[in-house]
Amino acid sequence: MSTFDEFEEKDYGKLSTPILRRLLALLMPHWRWVVGFLLCIAFVSIIDAYTTYLSAQIIDEGIRAGSHAAIVRIIAIYGGIMLFQAALAFGFIYLTGVLGERVRYDMRKQMFNHLQVLSLSYFSKTPVGWIMARLTSDTERLADLITWGLLDVTWAVVNIATAAIFMFKINASLALIVLAMLPLLAVVAFQFRVRILYHYRLSRKMNSKITGAFNEGITGVRVIKALAREDDNLAEFSELTEGMYQASYKAAWLSALFLPTVQLISAVGLGFVLWQGGLQVELGVMTVGGIQAFVSYVTFIMWPIQDMARVYAQMQNAIASAERIFNLVDTEPDVKNRTRTIQTKSITGDIRFDNVHFHYETDDPVIKGLNFHVKQGETVALVGPTGGGKTTIVNLLCRFYEPTSGTVYFDDVDYLDMKLEDIQSRIGMVLQTPHLFSGSVRENIRYGKLNATNTEIEEAAKLAGAHDFITQLEKGYEQDVGEGGNLLSVGQKQLLSIARAILAQPELFIMDEATSSVDTLTEALIQRGMERLMAGRTSFIIAHRLSTIKRADKIIVIENGQIQEMGNHRELINQKGKYYNLYTRQFRQELEAQYDIFTHPEASQT
Amino acid sequence: MSKNTYYDLDLSQTLSKNRLVGLWRLFKGYRLFYLGATTALAVATISRTGIYLVLRRFIDEIVVPRNFGPDMLIIIVMFIGLALFQGTFTFISGWLAAKTAEGTTRRLRNFLFDHLQRLPFAYHAEAQTGDLIARATSDIDALNRFFSDQAIGIGRIILIFVINFVAIMQLSPRLAWVSVVATPAIIAVSVYFFSRVSKAYEAYQEQEATLSNRLQENLTGVRVVKAFARQAYESYKFDQENWHKFSLGKRLLSIESLFWPISDIICGAQLLVSYYTGAVMALNGEITVGTYMAFIALVIWIIWPLRNLGRLIVQTSTGMVSYKRVAELLKEQREPLLEGDYQAKDNVTGEIIFKDVCFEYEPGHPVLNKVSFNCNPGDVIALLGSTGSGKTTLVNLLPRFYDPTSGLITLDGVDITRYPRKYLRSQIGIVEQEPFLFSRTIRENITYGVQRTVSEEEVIQAAQFAAVHDVIISFPNGYDTLVGERGVTLSGGQKQRLAIARAVLKNPAILILDDSTSSVDSETEIQIRAALEQLMQTRTTFIIAHRIQSVMDADLILVFDKGEIVQQGTHEELMKTSTMYQDIFNIQTKIELELEKEISSVNI
Repeated sequence: MSTFDEFEEKDYGKLSTPILRRLLALLMPHWRWVVGFLLCIAFVSIIDAYTTYLSAQIIDEGIRAGSHAAIVRIIAIYGGIMLFQAALAFGFIYLTGVLGERVRYDMRKQMFNHLQVLSLSYFSKTPVGWIMARLTSDTERLADLITWGLLDVTWAVVNIATAAIFMFKINASLALIVLAMLPLLAVVAFQFRVRILYHYRLSRKMNSKITGAFNEGITGVRVIKALAREDDNLAEFSELTEGMYQASYKAAWLSALFLPTVQLISAVGLGFVLWQGGLQVELGVMTVGGIQAFVSYVTFIMWPIQDMARVYAQMQNAIASAERIFNLVDTEPDVKNRTRTIQTKSITGDIRFDNVHFHYETDDPVIKGLNFHVKQGETVALVGPTGGGKTTIVNLLCRFYEPTSGTVYFDDVDYLDMKLEDIQSRIGMVLQTPHLFSGSVRENIRYGKLNATNTEIEEAAKLAGAHDFITQLEKGYEQDVGEGGNLLSVGQKQLLSIARAILAQPELFIMDEATSSVDTLTEALIQRGMERLMAGRTSFIIAHRLSTIKRADKIIVIENGQIQEMGNHRELINQKGKYYNLYTRQFRQELEAQYDIFTHPEASQT
Repeated sequence: MSKNTYYDLDLSQTLSKNRLVGLWRLFKGYRLFYLGATTALAVATISRTGIYLVLRRFIDEIVVPRNFGPDMLIIIVMFIGLALFQGTFTFISGWLAAKTAEGTTRRLRNFLFDHLQRLPFAYHAEAQTGDLIARATSDIDALNRFFSDQAIGIGRIILIFVINFVAIMQLSPRLAWVSVVATPAIIAVSVYFFSRVSKAYEAYQEQEATLSNRLQENLTGVRVVKAFARQAYESYKFDQENWHKFSLGKRLLSIESLFWPISDIICGAQLLVSYYTGAVMALNGEITVGTYMAFIALVIWIIWPLRNLGRLIVQTSTGMVSYKRVAELLKEQREPLLEGDYQAKDNVTGEIIFKDVCFEYEPGHPVLNKVSFNCNPGDVIALLGSTGSGKTTLVNLLPRFYDPTSGLITLDGVDITRYPRKYLRSQIGIVEQEPFLFSRTIRENITYGVQRTVSEEEVIQAAQFAAVHDVIISFPNGYDTLVGERGVTLSGGQKQRLAIARAVLKNPAILILDDSTSSVDSETEIQIRAALEQLMQTRTTFIIAHRIQSVMDADLILVFDKGEIVQQGTHEELMKTSTMYQDIFNIQTKIELELEKEISSVNI
């Protein structure tokens, strides 16, 4: 199997005291609601059992006794009680439902806020889909258990208890027969429920695999057609649908068997009751109405049992969900403030890496003994092959990760002594693939400084060279950028993320230059925007374009987590080493692209 | 269309203007099961009604006259017998219904999957992936619910109602009419309620989607959030959406919490009127006590199931919408894979002739115009030209992803439209710049589409050939490493090399290459280039060229502009005849000169 087994979800969890305590803690802030719905449902349950008793009374005190007045009286009571019960039903549905929504809200909020605190390392090793499932399906399942599940169990327990009281009131020996049925009913019901839910969950899992297969079949249709793989694909897909069929069919089959089985057990019990009841009527210790009442109690006693069995089965899954949720909430961030921190008003000044090492896993070092010194205001270009460690250096610089050994100094202060917020709020960053948030252009720029005025925003956009294209959008600054900024081109997204960084007025600027090509005009705008950002600021650029690299005060060539060469352009060219090779290769490529030999053959004539 | 073992019915033939007719046709092959399920349900319902009638005899003939003889035992045995009967038939009904619903759905899923992968390229180029997936999954789920729940459920409620009503009729017509007075009100209220709930629920679900998007954006943008230290702001934004969802949930619940008590009151009133009428009749001796008891049991079965009718009716209407959306897919024409009258006995040699080939996606907008050229087996043909000049369209014609609008393409002297598509595609290998990989293991991706069993050695050889073996064994699980979200993310160059390995195993006579190597370091680039060159030997190869190196050795260079071939010939020929091509070539020399100048300038 894959290395990602840790993200395979287990379905069953056992209720333990610590988990129970935490579940109760979720309800505690809203205990009034809990008390409210429990009271409502308890009354509803008592009334359910009581109305059966009333029906019996209609027969005995009304019909058998020949009293019209009694009938009218009992029906009136019945009606009154029903109205009362309707009011209670309103109460418990509303209270339980809203409480459930509230618990979901609370849990999502708590998890989201905790996610904001977690370190980058958590996100690089946890798939987004896994985290999303915690905030969606797991939350759903858990909230259902502690609201509707609690409600159902309360109803069931009170119902059985009340019914038992009334049965004993009518006839003790018959009541004992009925109660003797209960354990058998319970065992059967619990067994069925657990199995049905198992197959049901299996079918849900198959369903998500089927969705995945459709997704690939559609997005990969070109490859499938080119390789003429339709028949094999259909065969594979039909294995999934076969699995889905088996699981859903078994779940439905078991459900179909479940009710009749339970009803049959009740029917045998009912046969006993009739037989014994008949005999007792003969002895004069049982009334016709009493028999009617028992018929009802026996017929309906399977419902509370049913309910409890269902909640029991769901509970196993919900506990597994709870464990995953609590696991997320309990995860400690790798990077956090030290207990004693220094107040810093600024991170300007020289930056120094002193023998910095870093690894994710102990036997696999990523950064090996990095030493360099950057003066305030200098521009540093990081160059080298993919996977050489450039991004990790930037992540260390932002303190997204902390060195496993060695020290990073900001103006001669170990940055571990500073507050995370103090460092990160002073950094401006432009990523290789710019990430925008859905919302308007304006909102996206404002992300750099939340209290910025519209003038400031437009000023920043002008500096970034984004203003012109923005004003040409249909709604200008109010234009929606779409999910993840998808409605804009890559170049436009880059310009916006530069504007965002300009607005933030950072003290340290970091940029991961894009490799993807954009049109020449946009490219020039981006270059100019970058220059404005770098002016007077210490800047680190993961550089891909020669113009950027050449301009840098310091070029660091990183390979295998080590500095291979360091110096300015002239020094490194004269060394005729790795930088020289990298530069000449890149130079050829850039010129080829510039002359655009294959896209515009006529360009060569100029 | 050929039938296969995965679906035994061509569902595109089941379509009908009338949606109910169309749905009924989908049941084909399962109709007997469905009828069986309904019949069994009727038998079960009659048995249950019978139980209450036996109860009536028990009271009237045993308890009231105090006649506790062997008759009592007979009645009790009848009682249990009927219960057994009821249970058995309830089970049979549920079992057959599950068979019908799940079987129909499985066939529909299989058919739709196959249908989608066999729809022509032109269809997929236009269609939205998200929309297709929604139709194939959530709409099918809605239809599955229709088959398993609504189609059976509505029948069940009507059967229960009718059978119990007839039974009460037997007891007393007056009671029967009294007990259905409120029926229209119950149905009306439940339909009204469920249509409102479904609207509120939609809004709630939409907000759920918004919330998920918000979360996803936060998670994928975690570096931005941290770089700007915007954690508090993100929490605030999330909280707004989160709270909005809570409010929508509250609104949904306030509708729900009103419906159940209101319908409780209507049903309860109906029940009490029935009880009262029955009790008074029993009091006056118009009916027996046993009849009264049977009646109050039966009347419950008339009233309470009706509350669910509204839900089923509303859900059926959403099922109908889903059916319409699925039917729209089903009516699209497939691309026939086996159609073609020329059955080649062996592999093709790869001699290709284009004669006056024109192509247009939309009438009046030619993308290729009178393209003509010849090539011999094993030739390398380089396509030069700007984006949109027609290079990609031309190579799309070879595997018949599209057919020419006019003109003729022959392969080994035979018009390619006479070859079955499946055969033609088995002769062509495609290596794209950034190929699509499937979320399977690396091994499965390499052997994907190779229609034979491939040994471990062959896979490794192919990977070594494509210069990707070393990369693969550097992963902890080697060839069993999963690709994609749940596994490793591969770079563009690595993906391309896997596609090369795949092409090696496929061993096609014709090869289509997109030669641009995306950002890889120079050593890897040399390896890839070597692999490609070896792959090109002995195969007719079409290269969408981005570099001069791949053009120089080509047997034929086609220079495209606006859908037309403006120059063609070998490198030497073009160097002699075409000044334009000379210029292109000279750029290379020019670049070297500029580089020298640049390097020497650093020390000035």
